[in-house]
Amino acid sequence: MNNTVLELENISYKYKNDLILNKINLKINSGEKIALLGKSGSGKTTLISVLNGTIKPTQGEVKLFNKSYEKLDRNQKREITTIWQDLRLIEDLSAEQNVNCGLLAENNFYFAFKNLLNISSFKKAHKYMKLCRLHNSIYDKKIRKLSGGQKQRVAIARSLIQESNILLADEPFNNLDPKLITTIKNLLLENVDKNNTRKSPKTALVALHRLDFLNDFDKVIGIRDGKIFFNIKRNNLKKIHLEKIY
Amino acid sequence: MNKLKLNYTSLSFLPILVCIPLGYQLINNIHFGGFKLFQEFLISAFNPKIDNEIIITVIKRLNETILIGFFSWLVSIFFGAIFGIISSNIFYKIFNIPNFLYRIIRFFLTIIRSIHEVVWGIILMQIYGINFSIGIIAICIPYIAVNSKVFAEQLETIDYKSFESINQINAPKFSSLLTLIWNPIINTFKNFGLYRLECSIRSTVILGLFGIGGIGTSIFLSFQTLNFRELWTYLWSLAILIILSGLIFKKIKFNTTNKILSIFFIAVFFITILFSFSYFLYFIFNNNFENFDSVSSLFKSSSDLGLFDFLKLILETIILSLLSTGIAISLPPLAIGIFNNNSSKIFIKIFAFLLRLIPTPVILLTLLTFNNPSLSLAALTLGLHNAGITSKLLFTNLDSQDKRNYIAMKSLGISKKTSWLLGLFSQQAKSYLAYCAYRSDIIIRETAIVGVIGSVGLGWQLQESLSSFAWQEVTIVLIAYSSIAIVGELINGKIKNSLT
Repeated sequence: MNNTVLELENISYKYKNDLILNKINLKINSGEKIALLGKSGSGKTTLISVLNGTIKPTQGEVKLFNKSYEKLDRNQKREITTIWQDLRLIEDLSAEQNVNCGLLAENNFYFAFKNLLNISSFKKAHKYMKLCRLHNSIYDKKIRKLSGGQKQRVAIARSLIQESNILLADEPFNNLDPKLITTIKNLLLENVDKNNTRKSPKTALVALHRLDFLNDFDKVIGIRDGKIFFNIKRNNLKKIHLEKIY
Repeated sequence: MNKLKLNYTSLSFLPILVCIPLGYQLINNIHFGGFKLFQEFLISAFNPKIDNEIIITVIKRLNETILIGFFSWLVSIFFGAIFGIISSNIFYKIFNIPNFLYRIIRFFLTIIRSIHEVVWGIILMQIYGINFSIGIIAICIPYIAVNSKVFAEQLETIDYKSFESINQINAPKFSSLLTLIWNPIINTFKNFGLYRLECSIRSTVILGLFGIGGIGTSIFLSFQTLNFRELWTYLWSLAILIILSGLIFKKIKFNTTNKILSIFFIAVFFITILFSFSYFLYFIFNNNFENFDSVSSLFKSSSDLGLFDFLKLILETIILSLLSTGIAISLPPLAIGIFNNNSSKIFIKIFAFLLRLIPTPVILLTLLTFNNPSLSLAALTLGLHNAGITSKLLFTNLDSQDKRNYIAMKSLGISKKTSWLLGLFSQQAKSYLAYCAYRSDIIIRETAIVGVIGSVGLGWQLQESLSSFAWQEVTIVLIAYSSIAIVGELINGKIKNSLT
């Protein structure tokens, strides 16, 4: 049975005269946890942006659930959530308002309006913020007043609250201390927690720099100069593979 | 020999050279018949008329002024925000609408903005007759366009990455739009909206001089009857209104985290908008056109305006704008630099406040008491009024500036004037010039007011054409006005960009 959820067919992306992605073919199956490795500027962020539909490839096709991205309806597109490397939070809104932005897709315009007026329910937002170890004293603080680590966790909470099946994360453990990294890693990569209080993404593609996290992944993809150099099971990863991309 | 190098500081002073031709013409046009009147005008400032009758009139007139000013402000800020949204590229990105549409809307708004509210007022009065609502509509038309530009500029500052992030969540388009624009809109309203209320009140006063009503009408009537004591009662009461409103606005702080207060503000805002808008619709559909039968009358009317005369009027308007801008740029730093002591500064501040307070037509009419009408006199009037505004900004910026350089220079034995110039003003010159570039846009539009009163340029021609219902001429003059204002805006935009 074909359980491919995301597929890139011969994807190239050119920005001005630079070829950022070069004929990439990739299949991501349901339930897979994939680590994306590569140097800075190798094309990891662009690949994630192509996968979530933010960037239209110059060539090739992106398919989600075997359907071309353009043909998907809003509900289907909601199956992907992204944690951006640069977080992309709205600076003038509070932490809880930013997390609630993750619920915009499943609610109507009135919810967005209430969220901005601070009169919507923040129950679910608080639940995910708590899971991300955010203290309730920062819930109503504006993003610009938070530390780097707090902002990082707000962005993660905003992503998790969407309860999407597919997670695309671009270096999500930046700015976090070692203890928090373990908590956040479990949140992002464990399907269901013991108490069944949350829904985590089944499938994940995470861009990483730290190799000591690889044990939590099933597969590893290595990218260099916009080309996939290897796409293998984690157990098969050898030093030679890493030398190719670093 | 060294080449002359222009920097921002020297560029701020150089335009004062316009005073040479200006002064020459003014001296030649001087007449002594009206000096007594002018003297009487000045003395009356210290002896305004105060009795029961005039206090009742002042309250009544101020009420009218506040009402026109407030309603026009409210409607123009609301629709300004809406047009700002639909003329910003974020709207088109979210809804995937072709970008050329927003260029068309922007162009359309630029044309509307280029025509001063007084011109709109005069035209509407010709069509509908004198009416209280005309004042509100005349102010709203250009103000909506002005506000929309400010809102659109703020919306352009939205981080593209925030847009991508919200867009990727795949929320309903309107939810994404609202979430992205909410804070820029609220911040623009906080920083700019309340200042626009003051502008609305000032415009109401100027329109009042042309018969719309409010305190402006009383000012004009007392000037016509040369009742200067009464005139100053109105001017001082207007000053109190402006100072009070400024103080109140400083105290008002919009706390968006207070839920009940937020809902209350929004409810009041929307109810007032709904009320004002329904009133407008009622007004428009229940008024007969008095003098303007249909668009076809544009083509039936004839024009006696010769090409040469017309070009001369355009040239006059451009020269008027340049001369006024020169005065508005250079006079404040020159005056502050030369009279650089505390008591002189207080005097300059009071004088600048009076120049801002007294409507330009009144300044012009006062100067006409001892000088023949000329382009120079109109330029001087417009220049002085705007110098009052640019000096306010310059004082505010200089007062808040770090004075360590200035103190250090003085401690080296450098003179106070030179220390001020190099240690204080030179650091402000760039931003000051950028603001003056923006101000010159407004000066171009304001040439219409002094033109009407001072018999100069296109403003005068517009008045003449309207009086004779020569609609074709009116259209030509308006097109010329718009073209000058649009070209001026483009040039000033380039200057502003290079300065910021």
